[in-house]
This record gives sequence, structure tokens and C-alpha cells, in this order.
Amino acid sequence: MGRRRLRGHRGDAVGALPEAIAALSQTLPAGPSPEIFRRAKFDRPEAAPALWQLLFRVLSPLPADGASASRASPASPALEAQVHLVKSALRSQGYPRRALAQLPEDGSQGSRELLLALAWLLARGPLLEQLLAQTRVRLGDEIPLCECETLASAGPLPPRREADGPVDIRHLQWLMGKLRFQWRKLITSQQEQCALLGKIHSYTRGCHSDRSLGHLSVAETELFRDPEGGRQLLQRLESENVRLEAALVWRRQELVFWKWMDTVLGACPLEASQPTLLPRTPTVGASELELVARELQALHEELRGAAEPRRVAWEARAGGRGPERTAVQRASQEAVGRELAALQRAWEQGEALAQPHGPRRLVKRDAGASGGPGLRAAELIGVLRSRETCLEAVLGRLQTRCWQELTRLAGARPGLLWILPPGR
Amino acid sequence: MLPADCSRRLVAELRDALDACAERQQQLERSLRVSRRLLRTWEPVETPAAEPAPGPETNEEVPSPACTPSRQELKELELLTQALEKAVRVRKGMSKARERHEALSLKSGDAATSATTASAPSRASSQVWSRASETKPPRGAHQTTVPARGLPEGRLPSVGDRTRMARGARATKPGPGLRDQQIPPSAAPQAPEAFTLKEKGILLKLPMAYRKAASQNSRLWAQFSSTQTSDSRDAATTAKTQFLQKMKMMSGWPGSGLSAAEVEAEVGLLRKACSLLRWQMEEELSADPADWMQEYHCLLTLEGLQAITGQCLHRVQELRAAVAGQQLRPWPEGRCPRASMPCEGRTDSSWSPQLLLYSSTKELQTLAALRLRVAMLEQQIHLEKVLMAELFPLVSTRDPQGPSWLVLCRAVHSLLCEGGERFLTILQDEPAD
Repeated sequence: MGRRRLRGHRGDAVGALPEAIAALSQTLPAGPSPEIFRRAKFDRPEAAPALWQLLFRVLSPLPADGASASRASPASPALEAQVHLVKSALRSQGYPRRALAQLPEDGSQGSRELLLALAWLLARGPLLEQLLAQTRVRLGDEIPLCECETLASAGPLPPRREADGPVDIRHLQWLMGKLRFQWRKLITSQQEQCALLGKIHSYTRGCHSDRSLGHLSVAETELFRDPEGGRQLLQRLESENVRLEAALVWRRQELVFWKWMDTVLGACPLEASQPTLLPRTPTVGASELELVARELQALHEELRGAAEPRRVAWEARAGGRGPERTAVQRASQEAVGRELAALQRAWEQGEALAQPHGPRRLVKRDAGASGGPGLRAAELIGVLRSRETCLEAVLGRLQTRCWQELTRLAGARPGLLWILPPGR
Repeated sequence: MLPADCSRRLVAELRDALDACAERQQQLERSLRVSRRLLRTWEPVETPAAEPAPGPETNEEVPSPACTPSRQELKELELLTQALEKAVRVRKGMSKARERHEALSLKSGDAATSATTASAPSRASSQVWSRASETKPPRGAHQTTVPARGLPEGRLPSVGDRTRMARGARATKPGPGLRDQQIPPSAAPQAPEAFTLKEKGILLKLPMAYRKAASQNSRLWAQFSSTQTSDSRDAATTAKTQFLQKMKMMSGWPGSGLSAAEVEAEVGLLRKACSLLRWQMEEELSADPADWMQEYHCLLTLEGLQAITGQCLHRVQELRAAVAGQQLRPWPEGRCPRASMPCEGRTDSSWSPQLLLYSSTKELQTLAALRLRVAMLEQQIHLEKVLMAELFPLVSTRDPQGPSWLVLCRAVHSLLCEGGERFLTILQDEPAD
């Protein structure tokens, strides 16, 4: 404690920067030694491989610990592949420096550029928070509340498998059927898992040292069954604690780091402003963009079709306008303006989709038991039910639209009887 | 057959959906395996915490169960109970032997006496006892081979006696006679009952090292996730912003700033906008205006929605230009990692230890099923849109008189209007004459 205060007095002088860098490298997954950072400032080539690897780890997070055990920690790809991936990942996130893209692919050079890229990632958003959350040791039983968690824990995607050639529509129907079957299987397994969790929780009630939790989780009960696994869990927990402590130190000290980074950036030559032409490939976003563009276009047409006749009819009827009527109209205009502005805010700020978010530890507590902090399952069920209703309505509307479209198209071939299946 | 590019896109979408499902299934299977194993019998390791641990957070404070004996005590109890039960059997055997007119000679006999004299009041928890007394003694031929002597005349132990005797005996040490007595093989002490979570889970106690690390961990996470700001944090935020600006100024890329990730985020916003706008439009169209004021309100709203949709379409044009003009390159493997996608409208991804409280298994099952149902509906809606965009152009461009048109219509109807579950029937309505 005393030593820290002493360093605080000295301010940016000798002690603070190494401390900040040490804290940073301790927080990062497999962070390199602080010495690497110092060498990178002077663009020393020996620091480059370690920093490529670090950026690779930062940009392609490993799957969460629960999954990694069974996947037997995938071997890192060759340095060259890592270089390639880091470059394109930074590019897709909008990294501004061209010098990085021009570094040799063998990963032998560019330590200063890499340091800048790391600083860019750190400055842009809560990178350390994300990294820590991704590799967090899960002690409790959890149910992800939001899709983003299910997806984020899965790690990098396998390459997309596309059809080799043209397929029959029956193949699509078969795939759809398979999908429905998988969901059904998933729901059954999930029900069983809930039942087992409920049992484990009630059989171990009162066993947890933390009284707000009460019972043990599956991982904690496993400690007793599998001592070796338990030792590993403890080790991971302890090393996470070290990382968290380092992250807290980093937060206190990071200002010094940013001042230092300013000098690193100052040592770089200004880049000439000329675009390099890279081969153009369609992005994933492009097809999504076209999909939404088509939807918007259709909506625009429908709105025009609805509004124009109404306007014509309105103008025809409202021949002579009294001053009183004009006032009412102005009030209407203002009211509609406000409503539409609220609607626009709803999607821009995400107000409409307020949904509990973030993993939470499942705790079984008797209905009568007094409260305490924590979200109640009943509340969440309410939120999910209204979301379900809303989504069902959306799907229903889409299906109705499809039916209307099909009936219109079927008009091209009269003399057919369309008999709908029962149950609708 | 569907055209090649259409096939490629649709099959890829469906396979993505299947992969996502399979991944969930795998995760679930993993945790199911662990949970199932825990609910079968297993031998727990002797943890240091089995001894009473000091500190303020020991189990003694937990109200239920009132008093939990240690494993060692339990084992002793079990042995003792077995011995006592044997003593009772010996008595019974004696009485039967007597009924057979004392055909056999008697050898040793102080076992029963030691059992009857032990009648001190019960001290141990009744919970433990009730479990021990449930284990039925094996009944065998030894009833006749181990007779007893010196039994009080004419007094046979009843069932009640047996319980009282056994309960009393727990307070005293078993007499030496009981141990020295020759025990036939079938009455040898049984191995301690197998551990099941259901019966003995409540006795588990977390090791001290784990408890320490876990409580430190949750404290650190809470500290880390707290959003309190300080002067130094504000200064760091300013420094970071300046750093980013300076870097952008010094960079060589043309400054038409949208990255692939940003385009994707914008597309997400537009998608959300589109569904809200459509919803609002349908609200307006389904309402029945009662007077001219409401009618006017509806007209203005529809026109306003039209204008906003126009703005969105304009934004689409800008994004198209950004995508085309910027030589955005996708990930070498074809797709961006999903981990980099933030949840809609949320940017904080930091974790803090929060609880989700449930009161019954039923409630938990409802919650989990609903969550899956919502995920499934979201996927279905996405697939519906993709299929609509690809399949309707096919239906409208193919020749309605051609042989495959009806087949296509029927499949499209099933996929798009029935979720692939049902089919419609199409009949040729032949003219009557």
C-alpha cells in the first residue's frame, strides 16, 4: 500500500509506466512480457512474433472454458495464418493504418505497428472487459438469457458449407424437417437438464458457504467427485483472480500508458494518403443489406398504396377550411410528429427490445423465502412470453403475406382448386 | 431443380441454422452427462472440509438440517447398528430354538445381555438413526447356529423393544463381548452405504481453498463491473479519444469511414426499423377512424411512415456505396467471428455475478423452454424472409403451364405458409362438358 502511494507521488516517472504495462500484459490472455512492449516502441523485429500471436488471441477469442475442455484446446495455426487473420480482422473492424496491411506475411516485422494496433483496439472499446468475460470461469449453473451469449460462447465459426450444385426444392424441405426435429430434440434435452439441475440444487441445499447462494452448482458438486478436475478449476479460478486484480491496477494506471503511446505514435512517419486497391470481394453484410433493402422497398410501396388514395379523398372532401379546423390540423401534425420521433428513437436506441441480458447464476429458492438481490424467473418468463407473442405475430403476418402472394401468382393458371391442409 | 446460386445461398442458410442447433445440442449433452453422473452413486473424495472448518461462514449457521453428523460418526453408527440388530436376531433365534425344545447346545451368550443393559436415552439425531434402521438385516440360517444363553426367562423382545434397545445402545460403547463373539459370514459388517447425492448431498462441504478463491473472485468481479468513474478514469477516456483521433489523422486510408463491422451494425438497425415501421403501418391500417380528426391523424401517420421508410432506403443506398467503394474484405474463412457482434442495442459485455432465482423445477423448465422457443421463432422468421426473397421470384418467372410449376408452388406453400409441416392439395378443375 505504502509503496503504491509513493509511486503515485512520483507520477509519470520511472515506476508508473512499467507498472501499467505489467498490469496490461497480465490482464491480456497469454500476455507477453512487458519487455516486448518496450522493444516494440523501437520497432525491434524480435518483438514482432509475440505481438502477432497476442493480437491473434485477442481477435479470435477461444471458446468459453466449458467447451474448451472437450475440444482439447485447438492448436494455434501457423504464424503466417495468424498474420493473415489479424490483418483482415483489423481491416474489417475499420483499422485506419495502411502500414499494417503492408507488413510481410511471415510475421517477422512490424512490432511498432502491432503495438499501435493493440492500443487502437484498447482505446476503441471495452476490450479487456470483453476478453475477461469471454474466458471467465463458470462456477455456477447458468442459463443464457440472450442470444448474443449463446453465440459468443461458441468461439470462431467453422467455414461455411455451401451446396456444390443446384439442388431440388425437396432437399430444402428435407433440411427444414431436419431442423424442426433438432429443435424438438433440443427442447427435450433442455427439459431433462432443468430437472437434473433442480435435483442437484435441492439435494445440496445449505451446502454452500455463500448463504445468498445456498446450494451447490454442478461444477461445485463435481469438485467432490473429481478431485483432479477440482484442482484444475481452483487453479483457473486463482489465475482469473490474478488477471482481475491486474485489470483493476491497469484501470488506475492506464493514463500513463496513453501518454506513452502518444510518443510511440509520434515516432511513426505520416502515411501518404493514397488508397491501395485490393481485390474486391462481396462481404457477408452485402447480402443481408440486400435482404433488408428489399423489405424496405416493399414496405415503401405498401405505404404509398395506402397513403395516396387517402390523401386524394381527404383533399376532395376538405374543400372549405375554417380557421378552427386548421388549428386542429396543426395539433394533429404535431402529435404525429412526436409519435414518429418516438418510433425512430425506439430502434436507434434499442428501447423497444429491453430484455434482461448477461449470464446469471441459477439459484433455487423456495417461493416463500424472503427476497434478496437477483432477478426472479417469473419476471423473466413474463418478458419472454410477450416476446414470444410478438414474434409469433410477426411470423404469422409473414405467412399470410406469402399466402396472398401465392394466390396472386396462382391466378396465372386458372382452373385449379387449392385445398388447404386442415389445421389452419 | 433450383438455380445454382439460389441453391447455394439457401442451403448455406439452412445449414447455418442446423449447425447452430447442433452446437446447442452438443453443449447441452455435455452438461447433461455431468449432471447425470452426479446423480448416480459415486464415492466422494475426503475433502479437508469434512473436518469442522473455522471461520464465520461454516455450515453450522445454516438452519436446515439442524445437526449434521460427520462421515466418521455415520460409519461408526452403521457398524453399531448392525451389531445390535444381530443381537436382536440372536434373541429371536434363541426363542425359536426354545420352541424346538432346546435341541442345540449353547456356547456363548453375553451378547444379548449387553444389548439389554444399554438403555440410556438417545442423544444422536433422529435423522441419522431413521436411515440406519432402514437397512434390513439379512435373514439366514444362523438363527439356529448362534444361540444365546442367559436370556431372562420368558421375555422375548418385541419390535418396539428392538428399536428401543438399538436406540439406547448408541449412547454406549459396544461391549467387548459383542466383538469377540464369533460372527457367521452372512452377518459380517456391510460396506458403508454407497454415496448418492440424494441421500447425502447435504453433507458436502466446500473445501476452504475453493471457498476463499470463489469469494475473492465474486468480490473482484463486482469491483471490476462497477461503473463508478473517477478523475483518472475520465482523464484516461479523454486520452484514448485523442489517441484515436490522432491515429486517424495520420493514417493513409481514405477517410470515408465505414468498416465492415459498422455496415453490419447499420444493417441490423435497418432491419429493426423495418419491422417496427411495418408493425406501425399495420396498426394504422387495422384501426377504424371514427371521425375526420382520427382519419386525418391516420393519413398523416401513414405519410410520415412513408417518409421515414424513404430515409431508410436512402441510408441503404449510402451503405451500398460504402460496401462497393471500400474494398471491404471479409474474414479469410468467410465469416466474421460471432464473438465480435454485440447484442442489439447493448455494448457492455462485462460480467458481474448476478443471480437468477427460481422456485421450482417446473418454473425453470418453463423458462428454459420459452427461451428456446423465442430463439427458434427468431430463426424461423429469418429463414422465412430469406426463403421469400429467393423463392417468389422463381415462382413468378417460371412458366405456369410447365410441368414443374405446380410442384414448386406446392413446396413453396408448404415451406412459407405452413412452416414445412403440412401440404396443400391442388386439383385440376376439369370443365364439366
